Amino acid sequence: MNRVDSLNPGDPNLPRKGNWYLLTGLAIGLLIGLIISWMIAPVKYVDTVPSSLRSDFKNEFRSLIASAFYSTDNFERAAARLELLGDSDPIQALTIQAQNLLNNGDPTNTAFLLAYLTSALKQNTEFVPNLTSTSIEIASETIDKTASPTGNGTTITEVTPSSPQQDGIFTLTLRPSSTPSPTPGSPFILKSNQIICDSPQKSLLLQVEVTNSANQPIPGTEIIITWTGGEEHFFTGLKSEISNGYADYLMTPDLVYNFQLAKGGAIVSNLTAPTCSTGGESPNWGGIRLVFQQP
Amino acid sequence: MNRWLKFIIVILIGLALGLVYGWVISPVEYLDTTPSTLRYDYQTDYVLMVAEIFNDNQNVEQAARQLAIISSDPPVDIVIQALAYGAQLGYANADLVLLQNLATSLQTWQPNPGGLVP
Repeated sequence: MNRVDSLNPGDPNLPRKGNWYLLTGLAIGLLIGLIISWMIAPVKYVDTVPSSLRSDFKNEFRSLIASAFYSTDNFERAAARLELLGDSDPIQALTIQAQNLLNNGDPTNTAFLLAYLTSALKQNTEFVPNLTSTSIEIASETIDKTASPTGNGTTITEVTPSSPQQDGIFTLTLRPSSTPSPTPGSPFILKSNQIICDSPQKSLLLQVEVTNSANQPIPGTEIIITWTGGEEHFFTGLKSEISNGYADYLMTPDLVYNFQLAKGGAIVSNLTAPTCSTGGESPNWGGIRLVFQQP
Repeated sequence: MNRWLKFIIVILIGLALGLVYGWVISPVEYLDTTPSTLRYDYQTDYVLMVAEIFNDNQNVEQAARQLAIISSDPPVDIVIQALAYGAQLGYANADLVLLQNLATSLQTWQPNPGGLVP
């Protein structure tokens, strides 16, 4: 018997090889496919949406939105633009960004613009939660036919925020914006300077309330606080759950502060954290509440 | 069927499955994109924001700096392109005028020798 005869597949003496080679081939093919699709020729996104921007660019975008809102007072447009950034809580995102800017000195004074927009958003809280559903409704009606497919095969349905159709729909639910502004030219006067001792939560807290002549709180008012070897700026309106004209600052015991509104008016000097009682070994620190008003 | 032929066929099937998975089911996701990759309508709205701010403060230097974030093209070209897209997208006349004003101001603007600092 020669060698060829011995390789007859029907020979029961031959070892069974099975179909493992098929599985090996499938694995090799899959591996090559993944290398091509993930590394050599990955899906490239050229038509991205603002929500996919890197966080620093999102901050830049937010600043621009706030600045444009300050210039135009077009609330519905600003709200639509903010919606594009996909922040789960736009108010919180604006507030955090403003506070980070203030912590870093804010050379461009952008924190004020962010506070101004934050305040407007909070005043329109009934309007803001409707944004998502409104946007979806708009998108379904005015899908941008030129939108490119995204990587997962779906079509981008966002619409341009400045398109006339969107503006028209937003106008239906828009409440008139009533951001109070200070009376031009009138310097602020110190209406009250009060020591707070009744609340441990307000210990060492310097609370400021700024109102206009009609006693309406004014958001976005810059406050300058200085002490020996230091200076800090902060704004009203970032805690509008308390009041739009409210701001606070945590004092350090034994430091002497001078306090002024950037727009001018009364200067409060030699402010220190008050001591409410000296019953224990350590003093019980109180807080201060200052109220400024335009005459 | 020849074993080699079967082997090559399953490799091709695996390749196809890998490509479908990598390109369609789970493509590479770009989360940290830059403004230059934004879709043209978003870029146009970005330019409109710059024009709105410029209309208020007339600070052409600042406008050019803001425009430099979305493209390395000359600022005036970015605005002219946005103007064309804006008209195509049905922007209101008032918005187109803002873009036009910004383009006009940028045409005569000369950047500082040190260049733009974003």
